Amino acid sequence: MSNTVKVQPDLKFVKELQAVGGDSLKKCYQCATCSVVCPLSPDDNPYPRKEMVWAQWGLKDRLVNDIDIWLCHNCGTCSDLCPRGAKPGDLLSALRNMAYRNLAPLPIIGKWMSSSAGMLPLAAIPALIYGIIWVLMAGKVGSFLPRFEWDAANHAWIPTADGKIVFGGLFPGDYTIDPIFMAVFAFMLWAFYAGVRNMIKAFDAQPKTFIVGRKSAPTMLAAFIDTVKYEILQHTQFNDCNDADADELDVKRAKGHRWLMFAFIALLIVTGVVATGHWGGWLLRTLGITGLGEIVSAIGHTPMPFYHPIKLLALVGAGLGVYGLVALTKRRVNLDAAKQSSSWYDWYLITLVWVVFGTGIGAMVFRVMGAGLLAYPTYYVHLISVFMLLAYLPWSKLGHLVYRTVALSYAKKIGRIPMGADK
Amino acid sequence: MSNNSILVVGGGFAGITAALEAAEVGYEVYIVETNPYLGGRVAQLNQYFPKLCPPSCGLEIQFQRIKNNPKVKVLTMASVASVSGSAGDYDVKITQRPRYVNERCTACGDCETAAVTTVDSEFDFGVGKRKTAYKTHPFMFPMRYVVDADNASDSELAAIKDACKYDAVDLDDKARSIDLKVGTIVVATGWKPYDIAKLTNLGGGKVPNVVTNMQFERLAAPNGPTGGKILRPSDGTEPKRIAFVQCAGSRDQNHLNYCSYICCMASLKHVRYIRERGDANVTVYYIDLRTPGRYDKFKVMTEADDKLTLVKGKVAAIVDDGFGNPVVTVENAITGIKSDEKYDMVVLATGMEPSIAGLKVPAGAVDADGFVIDGDGIIAAGCAKQPFDVMKTAQSGTAAAMKAIKTVVGR
Repeated sequence: MSNTVKVQPDLKFVKELQAVGGDSLKKCYQCATCSVVCPLSPDDNPYPRKEMVWAQWGLKDRLVNDIDIWLCHNCGTCSDLCPRGAKPGDLLSALRNMAYRNLAPLPIIGKWMSSSAGMLPLAAIPALIYGIIWVLMAGKVGSFLPRFEWDAANHAWIPTADGKIVFGGLFPGDYTIDPIFMAVFAFMLWAFYAGVRNMIKAFDAQPKTFIVGRKSAPTMLAAFIDTVKYEILQHTQFNDCNDADADELDVKRAKGHRWLMFAFIALLIVTGVVATGHWGGWLLRTLGITGLGEIVSAIGHTPMPFYHPIKLLALVGAGLGVYGLVALTKRRVNLDAAKQSSSWYDWYLITLVWVVFGTGIGAMVFRVMGAGLLAYPTYYVHLISVFMLLAYLPWSKLGHLVYRTVALSYAKKIGRIPMGADK
Repeated sequence: MSNNSILVVGGGFAGITAALEAAEVGYEVYIVETNPYLGGRVAQLNQYFPKLCPPSCGLEIQFQRIKNNPKVKVLTMASVASVSGSAGDYDVKITQRPRYVNERCTACGDCETAAVTTVDSEFDFGVGKRKTAYKTHPFMFPMRYVVDADNASDSELAAIKDACKYDAVDLDDKARSIDLKVGTIVVATGWKPYDIAKLTNLGGGKVPNVVTNMQFERLAAPNGPTGGKILRPSDGTEPKRIAFVQCAGSRDQNHLNYCSYICCMASLKHVRYIRERGDANVTVYYIDLRTPGRYDKFKVMTEADDKLTLVKGKVAAIVDDGFGNPVVTVENAITGIKSDEKYDMVVLATGMEPSIAGLKVPAGAVDADGFVIDGDGIIAAGCAKQPFDVMKTAQSGTAAAMKAIKTVVGR
């Protein structure tokens, strides 16, 4: 570097980084093997060698505003070939973990989400909410494990001793599930909005590179659409992350991640249809359009029979999710700890997603079996896990869903990475 | 029964030095050497630093001393099969491979003329060929031909035997076993270049015109396959752009987890070879250029070459461009630019691996990196102990002689 840089190391930051997964960063001797072997790293100022030296020097400002941490998909090739075992891949994932912790507002959630010690208060919030609802509703319907039959005339579940297990009877959607999750969703959106604003502000403050021969920069919207089309739906970055001699578990990781993402999209559609059917039907009926209202309500009526297309989509989603989870978990369990480690953020997310899918499928199976003693507690845990997945999303590793998308779009806008079609 | 003779395993610079220092104060010494000649890696060099002496400078005087000293007994093409006993009383079994040539050989070369089959020369690390009757190099000691019976047909062997005017070719020569009783053992088994097949990201030895630093020595040596001209192995043309890749296997926990000490100086020395012969452009890619102590002066003088570029950044990928030109990928850690550069020839500064790596060590224990550590009456010397240059190897040989004498004296 020709310009003189006065290094002002932030030692506290170095220690923080070492704590969140960058514990081996001091072993680096700047050989730059990592930057060369990375299949994604650009030619100009490639990562992760420069991040390693910044981390050693404690250059916090550069690292926390560094867009390159989001270009990395953590295939681990850099760490595999690192001659010193300095694990550059782990440093980048540690930096992403720091971003999850610090980008969104409410630092207390960031703190709780950063270690296993914070699990208790985080889980206690939904556990209490749904516990109270369970107790209150049990008092109302007369049982902690009630059975119901459908009263079509009143659009309501009536408790009866020899009826069916109906989760919506114990936890009525209209008053307990839907308002809470709408609030949770709004809270999540607000946190993401603030987080993304912080992120873009940080990126904007970074020096820009003038790119010779570049006709015009795409708009942020065009870059975003491009990112959705290539990096998200086709997983182009993720697939490029695997080079010719990537091992089988790494190849399966990209596939597994993609299937899991499609599983979430499928389940999002299911949720959307159910909500639209339920509330849309109610709205139409309230407006007096009874005929159409009944049809719309019927489409979204739960529990759905197994031949219902939306139910089938839900089942396909569950299947894809489990397939993806198996691939991702298998790889993570088989990681060579000397080369690549897993942080609390990794395990928290993968475990939580397992719980969401496990309890979701379990609740359905137990319900169909008629095993109320198993079905209701499983559903209760399902509610807690979904609440945790959504409410704390901006502070979890799943936050990459928004942050990485924004960062990749931004990187395209400033020309750090090419548009999908130009690769 | 105690015994005060000394066994030196390995007849390279360390072994020869240890043997001579002990023999010249009156101890009986055996040198067991696996190659047909003494002198080890030094004999394979073009020149050694820092004074750029040819290997004959240094080895010649040592060979004279061996010739003149009846206390030194040399067994070439021999290796240690087993060791038993303890300090002061070791029983050692040696196996010696057949040379098929006896002491009547005058090195006239008629047998070589008669031989027809050629194979890759071990002495030239595969960049040259030899016949089935051969001397490894003109400065070979003992100066006696070797017949490679495994690679020659019966009729060829008969022709080789017939060609000898001195009846020196003995086709009935057999492997033999020799039992020695010694008081102490100096392990001077030396080093071998790290196997580049393991450096898969650097082409794994499959990319044309990527050679190791020791192959480069042979290309530069006047007694080498090209007569001292540095030429590309693939087409024999003179390279105009040459790159050196430092730490090829060294300082890497996936390969050799230590610095091999000599490779930086070796590559700078190779830059001098290139400059003596022409005006090729040279780039040296390094992590740190390590030229300890007085060697720094050598670096400063070499750096003055305006066709030499030093780039901080380790080459982490080498591929063929399809036309026999290696393409290296490297990030210049100073400018932060990653680029692919095409060269006519690439030299891998491969590190030193202990020669005994992968072999069962008959005597002595080894450390985590495979280097021999001193034991009861077992003394490590030279690059079997740690990576050394020639000067430190000689010092270590002398030190080993002192320790050996200390072990056997008064027994």
